[in-house]
Amino acid sequence: MNLIAQLPVLPIIIPIVAAPITLLLPKGRVPHLWACLFSWLTFAACIALFAEVSSTGPISYHLGDWAPPIGIEYYIDLANALVLLLVSGIAAVVFPYAYRSVQLEVDERQTPLFYGALLICMTGLLGVTITGDAFNVFVFLEISSLSGYALIAMGARRDRRALTAAFNYLVMGTIGATFFVIGLGLLYQATGTLNMADLADRLIGQDNRMVEAGFAFILVGMGLKLAMFPMHLWLPNAYTYAPSAVTAFMAATATKVAVYVIIRFIFSVFNFDFAFIGAAFTYVLLPLGLAGMFVASFVALFQEDVKRMLAYSSVAQIGYMLLGLSFATVEGLTATLVHIFNHALMKGALFMAVGCVVLRAGSHSIYAFAGLSKRMPVTTWAFLISGLSLIGVPLTVGFISKWYLLQAAFEAGHWYAGFLIVASSLIALAYVGRVAEVMLLREPAEDGKYAMPKEEAPLSMLIPMWVLVAANIYFGVRTDLTGGIAQRAAETLMSMAGGAP
Amino acid sequence: MSDFETVFSPIVFLDLALLTMLFLVAIAMLRSRHLFGVVMLSGIYSLLSAAFFVSLDAVDVAFTEAAVGAGISTVLMLSGMLLTVRREKPKTPGRAPVAMLAVLATGAALIYATIDMPAFGDPNAPANSAIGQQYVERTASEIPMPNIVTAVLASYRGFDTMGETMVIFTAGVAVMLLLGVGSARGGRRVSDIDAKETSDEGKGE
Amino acid sequence: MDDWLTFILERYNYWIVIMLMMTGLYIVFARGNLVKKIVGLNIFQTSVFIYYITIGKIVDGTAPIYMGGELEAASHHGGKEAGGAGHGAEAAAHDAAAAGEAVHAKIDNSALDHGQELKDALKHAPAPEEGGSLHELPDAGDKIANAMGDHLGKTPPADASGFDVGSAAGGAHDAAGNAAGGVGDGAADALHGAMDAVVYTNPLPHVLILTAIVVGVATTAVGLALAVRIREAYGTIEEDELEAADEIAEFGHAAGERAQAEAGAGA
Repeated sequence: MNLIAQLPVLPIIIPIVAAPITLLLPKGRVPHLWACLFSWLTFAACIALFAEVSSTGPISYHLGDWAPPIGIEYYIDLANALVLLLVSGIAAVVFPYAYRSVQLEVDERQTPLFYGALLICMTGLLGVTITGDAFNVFVFLEISSLSGYALIAMGARRDRRALTAAFNYLVMGTIGATFFVIGLGLLYQATGTLNMADLADRLIGQDNRMVEAGFAFILVGMGLKLAMFPMHLWLPNAYTYAPSAVTAFMAATATKVAVYVIIRFIFSVFNFDFAFIGAAFTYVLLPLGLAGMFVASFVALFQEDVKRMLAYSSVAQIGYMLLGLSFATVEGLTATLVHIFNHALMKGALFMAVGCVVLRAGSHSIYAFAGLSKRMPVTTWAFLISGLSLIGVPLTVGFISKWYLLQAAFEAGHWYAGFLIVASSLIALAYVGRVAEVMLLREPAEDGKYAMPKEEAPLSMLIPMWVLVAANIYFGVRTDLTGGIAQRAAETLMSMAGGAP
Repeated sequence: MSDFETVFSPIVFLDLALLTMLFLVAIAMLRSRHLFGVVMLSGIYSLLSAAFFVSLDAVDVAFTEAAVGAGISTVLMLSGMLLTVRREKPKTPGRAPVAMLAVLATGAALIYATIDMPAFGDPNAPANSAIGQQYVERTASEIPMPNIVTAVLASYRGFDTMGETMVIFTAGVAVMLLLGVGSARGGRRVSDIDAKETSDEGKGE
Repeated sequence: MDDWLTFILERYNYWIVIMLMMTGLYIVFARGNLVKKIVGLNIFQTSVFIYYITIGKIVDGTAPIYMGGELEAASHHGGKEAGGAGHGAEAAAHDAAAAGEAVHAKIDNSALDHGQELKDALKHAPAPEEGGSLHELPDAGDKIANAMGDHLGKTPPADASGFDVGSAAGGAHDAAGNAAGGVGDGAADALHGAMDAVVYTNPLPHVLILTAIVVGVATTAVGLALAVRIREAYGTIEEDELEAADEIAEFGHAAGERAQAEAGAGA
């Protein structure tokens, strides 16, 4: 069998085979090592796939050898190759990190199930990204969501609010998925097909109410999944009370994949001939993106809990992504893709740093961060550097994101949006600065609840965290890497959609 | 394909009767606060929808809905109810208007879409003339199997079905994580110590 | 007036299904009991299933299970044509073999023997049986082509004319493939004939909903498991009381009691 020819299906097959076996392993170290191994193998497959796509162009893989639209197709171009690389890359870093954190936060007897669920969650996200069939998106979306609900609820051992958070997420997520299915049904009724490329062909010239409503339902459904403002209410609690490793993984990947699905549908399925696409950009994505940027950043400013503060910040960052999208230009789309990638790097690193603090101090309240630089200097600096990246300081990836976004805003003629981006970055400066002040200038608590020993987090957590921090700087200096790829991906997507509206 | 025209046929009465019963059951579920009754009604709802699926020629779906929807789901909900509470408490009225608004918006969007929909049962509708008919035509020669739905399910769109089994597996893992060994149930219930401590600290500040 | 009646007749199904969806969604949003919310989600999803199945219905159609003898028609018709196709393939291969022989005659007389072997191989190649699977036919073609390939391998190093032999072998393969294609078309024609008699309802929405039903039940299971855990952790599954309890955790007892009082006022 030719392995290269089967390469596109490997990122799904590797973890889907590994996950059930994880359950059979004895509790303790073994399931973790097993999951790590397979997350790395998946990452390797994604790297190979990315290399293949960037050298030879888009790949279409026919599952079961049934040609689309009769069968299901995997369609990989640069845009989803980048997201695949991101999801599997974050998994490859978070899985090794998870061990000590999970040891503290999850019952030992459940470790095989926990790592199995984490692998399944990754599989689901990869499956959503890689597929070229609209209904297949739904199936894999539910795989990732169902495992996600359970993983978030695992935080109940530390705080029972994880359970209500998971339940709310389940209700909102299921409504979102069902809306997505309704949208697909409407599109199916208008075209009679489910393959994305075929949908795009058959939608041409079909400017009717079914297609309009179908687009609206897909947008709202995915909006619920990606916590688009004001449908973000499930997100802060879910991210706050989930186990640290789960938060780091989901914050860096789950919402990004949902943003990718929206991009895929807007640019590869619908085309710009539809008047309602332009209207959605101007009257939905642009205002909601801007509102999310400000409201969520502002709420983040008043959080006593660092994890919750970062969760609100995530909602704000999703606002940036939607804003870039709403310009409907190659530059804007490039900015969104770059920010999807960069935000995963910074939020991953930040949540991992919080996880290290939880391990030693037992809390993610801002009071636990008092004088952290004297207790855990390595973690403190990891948090600070990724925090600077979140604000958008030069030489970090955050700066690159903001730079592309500003450029796109000015080129699209939305100069006020450019001004607002800078203003919202200042709020980010305020909330990151608040934590930085507490960490650097306050004296650590000597006794009481937040007293902690002067002991760094273990290397198994520090190394993965610093890998992400280093990536924050590396991709912040080598701007041509992400920027160049995102630009090529954006150009391909834009040409699929038939140019500017 | 032949020309199609909607005519008034007696089957309309059957459809209307089934749909009306479905709607009445749904309203009864909305109003009742006896959870046992609600769960039973939800089983009836599934059974009625299975009957409607038969009327729509979807025998495989009817079979599955009767077994899974009316059977397994009802058992799950019954056990869920027995492990929690039997009666729903009355709700604070505050949220109903917001809920009604969201629901009406959804309904309006869907009704708006129906204006352009092809007529019910039209063989020339895009949904029925494109890929759907290709399955009907190709299955006989490509997959020697009398049931076209099975052929599509297991072969043409077999990967979705694999995803479906993965969903069931995921649900199993999730339920085991939530209720299985070591899930902090029983003797080791979740404490809200952490929560109380946060509150104390909140007051201290 | 008549237009209006038609318009309603064409759509009343969808409208009632939309009402069902709305009821389900309303239960999810407006009811505070977690089990009831799950029931609401269930109604919502089941209504979406009904919508999908409604899309696929064809008036005067029947369930998508072959009943007009399509399968027999396909295999029978295919079998007969397959015989012809086999002959066609053989003829093509024979031509190719002849060409090969001609070429080889120039190089080595013993090649004739090989040519004979090839013909034997062709005779032994599994002739598609009456009513046998169509899939075998391209295989037969492949076997012929492979046999020719072997044959070529056995001949001494050929000169430029060897290419002709190679392309002849390819031609044999193509011929077999085309013949197989012809069988497919023939079968499809036969099917069309059979299907004029019976109209089948669109199977694709059924397949999608079979998948979606299972996904729905999986969600129900996880949601109920969460509700059970919430009941154990909080002692209630009423949203108001849960929010009040979380309020206490977050802002201290005073705020929580106020929220509880509000929740109580509604009761």
